[in-house]
Amino acid sequence: MKKIKPIRIIIYIFLIAMAIIYLAPLLWVLMVSFKDSNHEVMTAPFSLPQSPSFDNFTFAWTAGKLGVATLNSFIVCAVALIFSMVIGSMAAFGIARLRWKLSKLSLTYFLLGMMIPVHCLLIPLFTRFTRMGLSNTLTGIIIPYVTFSLPITIYIMVGFFEGMPNELIESACIDGATIYQIFAKVCLPLGKTGLFVTGLMTFVGNWNELLLAMVFISDDFKKTLPVSLSKFVGPYNTNYTQMFAAIIIAIIPTVVVYCAFSNQIVDGLTAGAVKG
Amino acid sequence: MDKLLRNKKAIFIFMAPGLILFTFVLFIPICQSLYYSLCDYKATSILGPKFVGLKNYRDLMKDDTFWIALKNSLFFLVFSCVTQLIMGLFLAGLLTNIEKGKNLFKNIIYLPCVLSSAALGLLWMFIFSPKFGINKLIETLGVEGFVKNGPLWLFDTSGFIVLPMWVIAFVALWQYVGQSMMLYMAQISGISKSLYEASYIDGCSKARSFFHITLPLIRPMVATAMSLNAIGSLKFFDLVFNMTEGGPNHKTEVLATHLYQQGFKYSKYGYASAIGIVLLILCLIVTAFINKVVKTEQYEM
Amino acid sequence: MKRKILATLLSAFMAASLFTGCGSGSNGSSSASADGVQEITWMFWDDLDATEDLISLGYKDTLDRFNEQYKGKYHVTAVTTNLEEYYAKLNALVQSGETPDVFICSPGPQLSDYVTPDGASPADGLCMNLDEALAQDGWKDTFAGDAVFSQQTYDGSVYAIPLNTAAACCFYNTEMFEDAGAKVPTNFDEMIDACEKLQAKGYTPITISAGTAWCLSMVAGYLCEAEGVDLAALADGSASWEDGKLEAACDKLLALSKYFQPTAAGDTNDVATANFYNREAAMLIQGSWAIGQINGETKKSDPEFQNICGVFAFPGVDRIIAKSDSLCISKDTKCPEAAIALVKMFTDDTAQKYTAEVGGKIPVTNVEYDASKAPAQLSYVMDVFGNAKGTFGFYNESLPTTEAGSHFDDTMVSVFLGDLTPADAAKDMEEYYNENCR
Repeated sequence: MKKIKPIRIIIYIFLIAMAIIYLAPLLWVLMVSFKDSNHEVMTAPFSLPQSPSFDNFTFAWTAGKLGVATLNSFIVCAVALIFSMVIGSMAAFGIARLRWKLSKLSLTYFLLGMMIPVHCLLIPLFTRFTRMGLSNTLTGIIIPYVTFSLPITIYIMVGFFEGMPNELIESACIDGATIYQIFAKVCLPLGKTGLFVTGLMTFVGNWNELLLAMVFISDDFKKTLPVSLSKFVGPYNTNYTQMFAAIIIAIIPTVVVYCAFSNQIVDGLTAGAVKG
Repeated sequence: MDKLLRNKKAIFIFMAPGLILFTFVLFIPICQSLYYSLCDYKATSILGPKFVGLKNYRDLMKDDTFWIALKNSLFFLVFSCVTQLIMGLFLAGLLTNIEKGKNLFKNIIYLPCVLSSAALGLLWMFIFSPKFGINKLIETLGVEGFVKNGPLWLFDTSGFIVLPMWVIAFVALWQYVGQSMMLYMAQISGISKSLYEASYIDGCSKARSFFHITLPLIRPMVATAMSLNAIGSLKFFDLVFNMTEGGPNHKTEVLATHLYQQGFKYSKYGYASAIGIVLLILCLIVTAFINKVVKTEQYEM
Repeated sequence: MKRKILATLLSAFMAASLFTGCGSGSNGSSSASADGVQEITWMFWDDLDATEDLISLGYKDTLDRFNEQYKGKYHVTAVTTNLEEYYAKLNALVQSGETPDVFICSPGPQLSDYVTPDGASPADGLCMNLDEALAQDGWKDTFAGDAVFSQQTYDGSVYAIPLNTAAACCFYNTEMFEDAGAKVPTNFDEMIDACEKLQAKGYTPITISAGTAWCLSMVAGYLCEAEGVDLAALADGSASWEDGKLEAACDKLLALSKYFQPTAAGDTNDVATANFYNREAAMLIQGSWAIGQINGETKKSDPEFQNICGVFAFPGVDRIIAKSDSLCISKDTKCPEAAIALVKMFTDDTAQKYTAEVGGKIPVTNVEYDASKAPAQLSYVMDVFGNAKGTFGFYNESLPTTEAGSHFDDTMVSVFLGDLTPADAAKDMEEYYNENCR
């Protein structure tokens, strides 16, 4: 029979305490968001709602414009994801597989982008985009999002393409495939894992991006989720229940997706970060 | 095949979209930003940017808020590098040593990393609100009058590093420690078991083997995780913006929020660009530094 | 199969996003749509769909009336944002050449930024000279006098139309005052005395926001006025901030700050105001626009509150802080007639009557309104106005530049937080003026 070591117990107690620190705030917000009055929040913030109501969510979703913001976020992230994956893997293929003099140099050029904080691009981009009529449009934030996702996409995909055996391409060549077919039909499917990882990182990063979206978008109906949420505080920061409902709306999609695919997401994101 | 891979047209088609986008959306704006930082440029200017040399940088030197922002940003940098390293390693060490519930705990601790910091910032703002939230909880648990006499958390303004900064730094640690933990775990699980077994035979305790085997072997990863942390904490914006907006009285301003305020609240584009350039230079220095000091040579595993 | 569906879906999204992208390119400037209706835009600092503020709701009514009356001829669309980011967004539109046809603006340096950008002459600025329009159809005669235009006049011409006047007053909870035996103060010592009594009874005497710096600096402005600070003399260098007046004002501010709510340092304007109408504090020092906010917020939850909310003038000063939100018309508007017609509608009898009777702000025209319908607080504010010997602007809007105003705000907050002594604050302001303003 195996003896349970006391140190084990201490470790588990510690880990359970950690889990509480991580989950309790989220559960608290969820609970408060069902309360039906500010008064109840102020007097009994830690008890279960007396008469749970869904009104706060309806209010945040419609009047708080979080509904349209969720849709906007989805559009922006999905479009940015597709473009960054296509453009990024194309460039990665060009760097890793095609034979030309400046390929190493262009990789360095892309990688420099990882060090550059978005902040110092805000003003030039903003003035240029306003002049081009792109500020206050979803396109206006999709373009920078795609660009900022390129370095990591290219870095990871170059690794994948370089690791593929030469024979694969040679045999495709002998079969008479063009270079575009080799890319699309041979290399890309093999780099699926890489695409998944980068896609995940891109999507999560863009979904949560606040600063750029806040600067570029002023129309309430084009704001993304983090922006609408941050702006929701202004007029309603004394309506706690609605505020809390808004927070829940903002994080629930990510939490649900995370719970469903947590293992893949955690491994994928780590794999990406390890390479980065 | 060689001909196929040297096809100029194909190279152009594959590379052009990425290079063009990168050049126009990243490279040229950086240069522009550098130029704007040397200009007097306000949003309402009808004449556009006007070259004034280093005036913006001289003004920065005299700007108290800038120094507070710089101080706070550096505080974040040091705090997050140190605490994330310690907590991250500690958690990674614990989790690699247990069997049951390893994935569960790992996933719980990693969860906030994928959530929006804007939302989490608001959440913690309410938790640290003096009227309810944590003070109320402590009172409910039995400390009389804690709501009235307890700390004001985000509203306190005394000390060199004000209390709100510690609070925000704590929240940042809470949110992002999962990332460091995962990186270290990935690296630790890559270390061959035989190394440990050999050390146990030699009479090493678990703790000793952690310091003598694990630590040296994961050193390159420490460099990676630290650079990620460092750049992340310099760029820090969302949490501060949603928890305090730089207040009270600019005491919790960081470089990013100061830039946002100057650029988009007071419309001083030139001045804000100068802050951006300072931020960029800091990022470059810090990354170079960490890579030089921490990442020495790689050990064979 | 599955993949195909996904691909179709995603490309649909792409198309949708590009479409939304293009479709909005024209927002911000006037255009004639296909059916001959002139489209104009009106920019404002509150979300008209979500607001409970009665003044903002009144503006919304005015827009609706305009669209109704000029149906088929003109149509106005509101471009809204919130107060914090208003000027940034307006500037962005100005930069991209899409200046809204009509936009709201605070008088003072903010307005000057648009009328005389970079110190240009008003003729080269962004706003339309309104003299001609005012002269037509006796529009100007409907106003309460030439004085209402004083802050909107540059080089002898009017460049913006004031909509209503608000005065900074002290709101107080009459029940709490009665309970504590406090009297409405008429000078600073009585104010301290009243606070003392309220505090002894366990009430929070004053709710204020230092998190929103101008709220605190408004009180500082009153205290400076009481000490006789002369802003014009300070601006041209004939007086010094270090002459002891600002220091004395700061000392008083510190004396008063003992009675602020404990969270004053971080509370925003809205939170501070909510403290008052939620009956958590006895006094609120705020612009009279707060009437619309207070009555709007308590209409459902606490209708009784209107009756116990009194108003008095800030004690110890002869003049009061007043401010008029003003509408400017872009010089580049494609349809000046529509823009002028819209602004006119904001100053017509219906709108001005609403301003007084519902919004509780002081109208700028000679409109006759039913005082019995207006919120009780309005008549108190009118009394305050009547007894005052004159008005002066908000300090942060009366200093030479917007930045100087913000600097004053920040300095006052620093004094309140104890980071600067009153003497240091005076020195700091003097240095700032020497470097930037003179």
